[in-house]
Amino acid sequence: MRKWTLALTAVVLGAAFTIGHAMAQPTVNLTFRFNDTEEKEMRAALDRFEKENPGIKVELQRIGWRDARDQFLREASVGQGPDVVHMAQVWVKEMGQAGALLPLNDLMKKAPLPNGFDDFVARELAQDKKGVIFGLPWTTDTWAMVYRTDVLKEAGITKLPDTWAELHDDSAQITKRTGKTGFGFPAGGSASGAIWFLANYYWWSNGKSMVVEKPDGTYGMNLTAADIAESMHYFKSFLTEGHNPTSNLSASDAHDPAILQALVSGKQGIGTMPPNTYKQVLETYAAANPGKPLPFVSGPFPKGSVTRTSNIGGRMLGININSKHPAEAWKLIQYLASEPIFTTYYTTQFPAQRSLLKKVDFGVELKGFAEQLGYARTWGPYSDGPAPIGAMWNATGRAFSAALSGQRSEKDAAEELVQTVSKLMKSRGQ
Amino acid sequence: MTALVLLATVIVLFFMVYPAVYIFYGSFKAGGGMLGEMSGFTLANYRRIFASGFVLFTFNSVTICAVATAVSTFVSVCAAYVFSRFRFRGRSVLFGAVLLGQMFPWIMLVNPLFVAYAKLGLINSYAGMIFCYTAFTIPFSVYMLTGYLATVPRSLDEAATMDGASRFQIVWRIVFPIMLPGIVATATYAFLLCWTEYLFALAFLTRTEMKTLPLGLYQFFGDDRVDWGAVMAASAIATLPTLILFLPLQSRLTGGLAAGAVK
Amino acid sequence: MRGGRLFIALMLAPAFLILGLFYVYPTFQNLAISLTDLSLLRLKVGGNFIGLDNYREFVQSPEFGHLLFNTVIWLTALSVILRLVIGLGMALLLDSPVLKRLRMSTVAKLAILVPWATPPIVAVVIWRWMLDAQNGVVNGVLQSLGIVDHPVAFFADLRTVWPSIVTVIVWNTVPLVAISLLASLQSIPDELNEAAELDGATRWQQFRHITLPFLMPTITVLTLMSVFWTFNNFVYVWLATGAGPGTFTNVLATEIYIKAFVDFRMGYSSAVGMVMALVMAVFGVVYYRFIAPSELKDSL
Repeated sequence: MRKWTLALTAVVLGAAFTIGHAMAQPTVNLTFRFNDTEEKEMRAALDRFEKENPGIKVELQRIGWRDARDQFLREASVGQGPDVVHMAQVWVKEMGQAGALLPLNDLMKKAPLPNGFDDFVARELAQDKKGVIFGLPWTTDTWAMVYRTDVLKEAGITKLPDTWAELHDDSAQITKRTGKTGFGFPAGGSASGAIWFLANYYWWSNGKSMVVEKPDGTYGMNLTAADIAESMHYFKSFLTEGHNPTSNLSASDAHDPAILQALVSGKQGIGTMPPNTYKQVLETYAAANPGKPLPFVSGPFPKGSVTRTSNIGGRMLGININSKHPAEAWKLIQYLASEPIFTTYYTTQFPAQRSLLKKVDFGVELKGFAEQLGYARTWGPYSDGPAPIGAMWNATGRAFSAALSGQRSEKDAAEELVQTVSKLMKSRGQ
Repeated sequence: MTALVLLATVIVLFFMVYPAVYIFYGSFKAGGGMLGEMSGFTLANYRRIFASGFVLFTFNSVTICAVATAVSTFVSVCAAYVFSRFRFRGRSVLFGAVLLGQMFPWIMLVNPLFVAYAKLGLINSYAGMIFCYTAFTIPFSVYMLTGYLATVPRSLDEAATMDGASRFQIVWRIVFPIMLPGIVATATYAFLLCWTEYLFALAFLTRTEMKTLPLGLYQFFGDDRVDWGAVMAASAIATLPTLILFLPLQSRLTGGLAAGAVK
Repeated sequence: MRGGRLFIALMLAPAFLILGLFYVYPTFQNLAISLTDLSLLRLKVGGNFIGLDNYREFVQSPEFGHLLFNTVIWLTALSVILRLVIGLGMALLLDSPVLKRLRMSTVAKLAILVPWATPPIVAVVIWRWMLDAQNGVVNGVLQSLGIVDHPVAFFADLRTVWPSIVTVIVWNTVPLVAISLLASLQSIPDELNEAAELDGATRWQQFRHITLPFLMPTITVLTLMSVFWTFNNFVYVWLATGAGPGTFTNVLATEIYIKAFVDFRMGYSSAVGMVMALVMAVFGVVYYRFIAPSELKDSL
């Protein structure tokens, strides 16, 4: 009898304790929308987060980048959407002002970041003029030039091109001496095409810019139709002279399979791309040529009359304004921005924090990217200014593609682009 | 003559199937055969896509598409029968109204429908997707079936009426079996339309376990790199079930009026 | 046949209920939005009423004629006609008794279904690869046959870009036409053709006077649906060329996408969508009045 009473009491107490424990810690369910392909690695990272934070469960979602922005804007406007959202850095301000993102200032005060907000790269893209912070920079990268050392050698080129003129001549020399493609860049004009980056790097390196902030605080263009036409003429010369095959007029992405295949199989000598794409090239080459050294090297962009430069790209994390658990969401974001994530799980991207970037080992082939990061600048006024970046991007791509394909003359395409951008600058995101 | 027909058939089938061969071939190669010639066959692509939940995506697609097709075909046969056999006031208007939604590009419908679905809690639900796909496929099904019914003589119906059959019996016992080739063709179209649909699935299904096959496929198109091997393997998976599904139904496509059905 | 009102209503109700619930709301929403300057960034706030400004801007834009021409002639007319002609040929081929004797019917039908089961993005990817200037098999064949001396950049050359896009569309969608026509062909009673043959009719006469009339209802419907679907189509052009080079292959549907999701102008793009619906409605009415009725009247 005694034994039974004791056993029963133990069971009842045990049950009460478990239930009480569970009730005291209601599970918070968060959704994290992460749009890159490293799903498995991210899931592992989230599992560890869940272990370290019992009571929080994180569901991993994914929407392809092409559709991620529209999908989130739609969802946020009807009270839906994930708690933590993965965004391109140039979307953050407009999403914040559209009322889709939760301001992070209070959360930052209550649970501050270990190295402070100042440690983060591209901070100005995350906040509006009044200092309301809408996102936390997460990853960063920049484009660089990539070269096949064996093709360069075959063409008798002994050093990497330093200026735009040298790039042009080296590219021509490759084709002349070896018959292979020189600088095979994507010349297509699709809405988020790569030519936008090349055009801007060219303009910036010559001291020009499509959007600048004037001293009186308004925004204008430091770019004339003549400047644009000249840059179009430069890039078109690669196509007309035959060292960039005309089929690249239908390639809009740096990771277009035709371009990557040409680099992997050694039919092209010079290319340009973001680091993740470059890594795919290296991996593919290694898989096709096991055991052989990688005949690749990366280098910074050519110098213009003023400087050499590229844009600091990157992604940010934000909290949905409709989130029911902002405090836990902020906890997740801090976890995702911590060092172990970049060293153990999400190793394909570079962290957007200066303190962590210093510790990254880029490896031999990616040295050019590390060097280029030193020269890179953020979009700055492009993002602050009145014209939506996406619209300028699309207009530029179309204009270049029309000029490079011969659909329009360089002069006409350039003038039309200036007019379009001026109109965009007048209206605000309409 | 036989030789000519045979030659023509082979040429036609070659053009139809050859591009798809690329897909199957690429699915067994590293890099999907897109980034350069790789020696050796590998199953790594298939392993990768199944590890990322492809079985679930396929299951979702099969369920949603099959149910939507069944409902849509049933509903369309009913409507088509009435349009083809009866004259009534407003017939022309109603017949035209069936096509109302098809006049818009689908991307225009996405935003308003998303808002409606969100308010009704139909986001990330089988019911929502089935309803959506049924609504898609009804207009075409109704029109096609009306067209097929035009070739089924009304004498059959009249003969059956004189034999004392009720209207419902006529539809399902007499006309339906003869229409079967047309119904199979229409249902095939409806199913395949749902199977490859992307725009609405993208907007309405955001949770990974609810996603359909096309969404699973698109996931391999990253921002600065594409997993071509996975794309090819996923495409192969997308194509195969359709063929397997319709293997038994192919025989139904050879129809013909039952001999002696008409007195 | 005597109409039973209840019967008719019951048979039509399910279809119209579903259609009504699904399409009516978006239609009115689009109409309403098209009269405003709504932006994707201001979905919560809503847009300001601007009347017919969007419509005026669209119709008066310099791109208007180009878009219309691309959509109507290149995209719709060309691919619909090719689809019908090639589809009819394939259906006739599949129906031939030769295949039945060789027991190749099933294999042939399945093989024809393959392109249709391929998702559009994969079809585009594969064809872009096959038509690639450097590595594509098509250029390889053309060069070895001596038809061209240097490779043709199919998707970049302004002369070949539209035929290339149409090729992808036709490849991906002709099976539907072929299978539908095949089903119609196989419901033609054999006695009719046998009787005609006995009377001395040639193959061509049989085709023209027996087969074709039998197929007309199906062809009529297929044409109408094909036109609607192709006119409104967005995926193929977008995935193949992104409406480029420049804006060369921009069609109405891609214009809507760009205006709505790149420029964020929901109001304007809704107006373009309404114009497209209007064009299709007019076409539908004209088609129905002047082309279709004889076929549909036969069934009554």
